[in-house]
Amino acid sequence: MPRKTVIIGGGAAGLGSAGGVKAADPDAEVVVYTAYEDVAYSPCGIPYVHGGEIPDFERLFLAGKQAYVDAGIDIRYETEVTAIDTTAKTVTVAGEGAVGYDNLIIATGFDYADPGVPGGELGGLYYVKNIRQAMEWDKVIAGTKRAVVVEAGPLGLEMVTALAHRGVETHLIDPHPYALATMADPDIMAPVEESWRELGVHLHFNTTLEAFLGDGNGQVRAVQTSEGEIAAELVVVATHKTPSNALAAAAGLKLGSTGGIIVDGQMATSAPYVWAAGDVTEIPHGLTRTPLQGLTGSHAYAQGKTAGTNAGGGTRAYRAVYVPWGTPAGKWVIGGASFGEVTATALGIPYVKGEAQGISRARYYPGVQPVRVKLLAEPGTLRLIGAQMVGGGEGIKERADFLAQAIRFGMTLHDLSSMENVYSPAIGALNEPIAVAATNGVAAAAKQG
Amino acid sequence: MASFFGWLRSNSEHYLLVAAHQKFARTRGTPAPRPPKGLKEIFWLKVFVPVYGVLPWSLRSTIMRAMPGSHRRTWAPPPRSQGPAV
Repeated sequence: MPRKTVIIGGGAAGLGSAGGVKAADPDAEVVVYTAYEDVAYSPCGIPYVHGGEIPDFERLFLAGKQAYVDAGIDIRYETEVTAIDTTAKTVTVAGEGAVGYDNLIIATGFDYADPGVPGGELGGLYYVKNIRQAMEWDKVIAGTKRAVVVEAGPLGLEMVTALAHRGVETHLIDPHPYALATMADPDIMAPVEESWRELGVHLHFNTTLEAFLGDGNGQVRAVQTSEGEIAAELVVVATHKTPSNALAAAAGLKLGSTGGIIVDGQMATSAPYVWAAGDVTEIPHGLTRTPLQGLTGSHAYAQGKTAGTNAGGGTRAYRAVYVPWGTPAGKWVIGGASFGEVTATALGIPYVKGEAQGISRARYYPGVQPVRVKLLAEPGTLRLIGAQMVGGGEGIKERADFLAQAIRFGMTLHDLSSMENVYSPAIGALNEPIAVAATNGVAAAAKQG
Repeated sequence: MASFFGWLRSNSEHYLLVAAHQKFARTRGTPAPRPPKGLKEIFWLKVFVPVYGVLPWSLRSTIMRAMPGSHRRTWAPPPRSQGPAV
């Protein structure tokens, strides 16, 4: 009798889990329950279809439904799991009743934080998540003249740029003094904001959402903010991600201070035979050990692989995270790893800083782009603790990935200042901006004594 | 209990961030957050943030690590330990 693994959720974590179970135990019975019509597509690509960079939604699908049938993964679409009983080892499924499992993986993902203001029931409020809904919303965007994006988090940044590219008069409201203020530094975001203004975007910082206002026919006509009313036919609600933890909480699983399910390095929860992965969990930061929730799709997929492998009887460990990140914003690409200056300052972590303004290719080669790198290091040891960057796009992602590994492996500014780098006019400049920033950081530290 | 720690964490994170934005605005001329309004914001910014600021990092870290969370379960050690970085 094959062992049965039930997976709740068909996103990156859920499908990563299914693959992990099958890799560890090809004979395992794997059932995935998803509330949606599809699995195996990239929701992160949705803003880029809206913005016109990707021509259609079909390209976001990674595999057809038959691929999962062929892989022996039984996906139950549009099927809700309503309860978990970890003692009886069952889940309650709408239309199926109590379903037993040998192993359970919870990959229920995230919900947008409730804006907590009147008018949340109105039409015209767009929560970017589901691809079928996104296809319908794309038609709405085509006829939209004015839109408001609520909050300048990672998704908000992408949607502001997308709507501006579509020629929509776009207003961004955010309670902080600048965009992406919970993770990025103001000097990194300044050129992004300038490029949005060039695109005609209206930026309303230090501005709090107070209500969605209706037109009397159930549709939104404006948002009420702390700074006044902004008319809009469409409102993209891009509040921060919160763990979709209701099932887990009701089942008595332990939750952490983020609201995410508490897991260990095997992605095992507090209940026997129950694993969890993705945005519903919390993962410790590699330096502070403080748990973080709401990471990226690549984190969710890797966590799913880990949970699935272990549920399938194999052995796989997930590790604390150093959070490489990056995203296009306006005409720039921003990115980083671990801390920025603002988050380090907020936590009271001392640092020395090295900065450099470099270029992505030889200065004479067509297409050369600026790359600004800022490195933070522990005073004394000069061990790297964080980095932030802004540039034209080339190499920001790769540098963020590299710098996260540099932090993970304890590299210092001395190590980075003497790093070797590829030099080839079409793909790399003589001076690597990371090495220049590190050299400047070493000099700044020496000056500080 | 988790909800208490959730409340504590979300408030402390938010107001420590606001204080950092205030500091950057004062020292570097970056955009400033709006002034605090109401007793709650004044408490967090005028009482909690200064108290947090005078605690040594080791004590702050100990308090943060004492909260319930994934960090208190078993994780693989860092690949090459060189002592605490922060």
